[in-house]
Amino acid sequence: MIALDCDDLFDTWRKQARVLLGHGIDPADVTWSQGPMDDLLAIATPLPEGPGPFRPRVPAALLAQLEQAARYRGAQRWNLLYEVLWRVAHGDRTAMLAGDRLGSELQRRIKQVSREAHHLHAFVRFVPLPEAVAERLQLDLVAYHEPAHDILESASSHFADRLGRQRWLIATPTDGIRFDGSNLDYRRQCPGEWIDWARHAEDPGAELWRTYYRSTFNPARLNPDALRLHMPGRFWRHLPEGMLIPQLESLARQGKQRDGQALEVGLQRGKRVGR
Amino acid sequence: MQLIAKLGILADAAKYDASCASSGAPKRSSRGRDGLGATDGMGICHSYTPDGRCVSLLKVLLTNFCLYDCQYCVNRRSSNVPRARFSPEEVVRLTLDFYRRNCISGLFLSSGIIRSADYTMEQLNRVARLLREEHGFRGYIHLKTIPDADPLLIEEAGRLADRLSVNVELPTEASLKRLAPEKQAHTIRQAMGVIHQGQQAVANEPRAPRFTPAGQSTQVIVGADATDDRTLLRNAESLYQGYGLKRVYYSAFSPIPDSPNSVPLAAPPLLREHRLYQADFLMRGYGYKAGELLGQAGNLALDIDPKLAWALANREVFPLDLNRAEPALLARIPGIGLRSVQRLVTLRRERRIRYDDLIQLRCVLEKARPFIVTSDYRPAQAELRSGLLRQRLREPQAPVQMGLWA
Repeated sequence: MIALDCDDLFDTWRKQARVLLGHGIDPADVTWSQGPMDDLLAIATPLPEGPGPFRPRVPAALLAQLEQAARYRGAQRWNLLYEVLWRVAHGDRTAMLAGDRLGSELQRRIKQVSREAHHLHAFVRFVPLPEAVAERLQLDLVAYHEPAHDILESASSHFADRLGRQRWLIATPTDGIRFDGSNLDYRRQCPGEWIDWARHAEDPGAELWRTYYRSTFNPARLNPDALRLHMPGRFWRHLPEGMLIPQLESLARQGKQRDGQALEVGLQRGKRVGR
Repeated sequence: MQLIAKLGILADAAKYDASCASSGAPKRSSRGRDGLGATDGMGICHSYTPDGRCVSLLKVLLTNFCLYDCQYCVNRRSSNVPRARFSPEEVVRLTLDFYRRNCISGLFLSSGIIRSADYTMEQLNRVARLLREEHGFRGYIHLKTIPDADPLLIEEAGRLADRLSVNVELPTEASLKRLAPEKQAHTIRQAMGVIHQGQQAVANEPRAPRFTPAGQSTQVIVGADATDDRTLLRNAESLYQGYGLKRVYYSAFSPIPDSPNSVPLAAPPLLREHRLYQADFLMRGYGYKAGELLGQAGNLALDIDPKLAWALANREVFPLDLNRAEPALLARIPGIGLRSVQRLVTLRRERRIRYDDLIQLRCVLEKARPFIVTSDYRPAQAELRSGLLRQRLREPQAPVQMGLWA
């Protein structure tokens, strides 16, 4: 058994996989370690030297798919990719198609990864820094986000398109990314001060957004399952509106809401319009 | 009145418009430039409220003062609701602030009718112009179009906004007359025509300035009057064909505070709305005709989805051989969606389709099983009568509570 570590880097894995494939090493005889979950049964046999005699040809689309699936954090993260690569390189293209058992898992991972990128685009919430702080830190907006997969680096340039010359930063428990108005600075290890700035930014302005959220909700159509399906609970704590969700649900459930109107709007004095 | 108080009132007043899409806009980016905002065709749902609906845009009215007295509308002039009015600058400020925070992807602005249709439309255009021209805003803008406004104003709106919409609200002349006496079916269609012409004028001119690149949409209210689903679907079909509409939205009528006696005070018919959306999607995405989905007067079945209903009513088409049938026909199999059809077609170029493949593709086999043939499977219950099949496949229905004044 060959035991490898690619430090969760796709390029490293790719070089290793190419050598393995060249030497015709079966997926059953190789394993990649994943952090502390080392395979205790694997006895470290070194990677063979040189490219090896077998020169496989694989479709270009496969490489892109493997790279995308590699961002998935989960069991067999790298082993699975090698198994797909092995089968396709040996002429079995179904290994990358959703109809196959392995291909189906590959496609599921790709889907989860792109879903997580979409979650980043949707649920990151920037806090604008007050002018004096912005000047000192050379930073206009900060956000803290906890993605489930390694999508921060590949998915963040989206915000450079949206925010123009604004300077922003997204910190996560693992990595972080910062934009200075023209260049992206990605760090695999998020600097501690980035995390501090992002987690402890004061945000009095968030009340406007929470007001909007309360008012745009229609209590006569209560459907909390749909909310949870599209916006999983793990994101709520970093959303300014997150704390309102249980509150609005229980108000609507108590049956106080017979119509669509927001509670606080209903409490105000009305006015009929004369002609 | 403070901005935050206005926001509470004017968002509450706008929530009955179902549309919140931010998709379909052309590629725009602010990278390395002054200004703010990007679009890339994909919509983003930035949040969801506990009603399960997506929050993609800042959806507000410029004002909820209104001269009209549409019975179904919370903002009708005789309604006893708090009233407010934003200045255009206030809407701009809110849009930019929420956008920077990544709470929204753009603005959906509508308004009660004040002074005149033209004046109201001018005000809406002014907000869009401020955003686009003064602040270099490249995010998504959806403007509600006031039907009786001057066509020149509608054209201006079309150049500023990604999407325009004119609401049909009630698809029959009689209902409009009864519930929305100030509205007229023909001016609603006229406004749609102006937008459609604007789109066609630039259709084959890549250099021409864009005109509502994300298309036009409309909304109909479901359950405020007696209009049946067949009328709604036929109406939608004619709008898709006649005016090239991108979307028809169906909004289950929610009871409103201070409700007049002319409209129901019942819970919104959410399942009926859901079936209409399903049927509508079948027309837009799968090529079903309205007449196929609902042959006779009445409403769509609530206990089964419209695709299954069609398959049960057309048993002679099935079972279909997944290894042979045309893709367009495969798409008519209940439980197999467009994406699965694509994947099946790719897979069958490599090898024969087996029953297990459908499990891997996560098709809804419970529904698909009686309608398919694969290389290793043929339905035993192919002879089963549609009535029995329906009994087995129908979704459990929540018990209906009897109305107090039924």
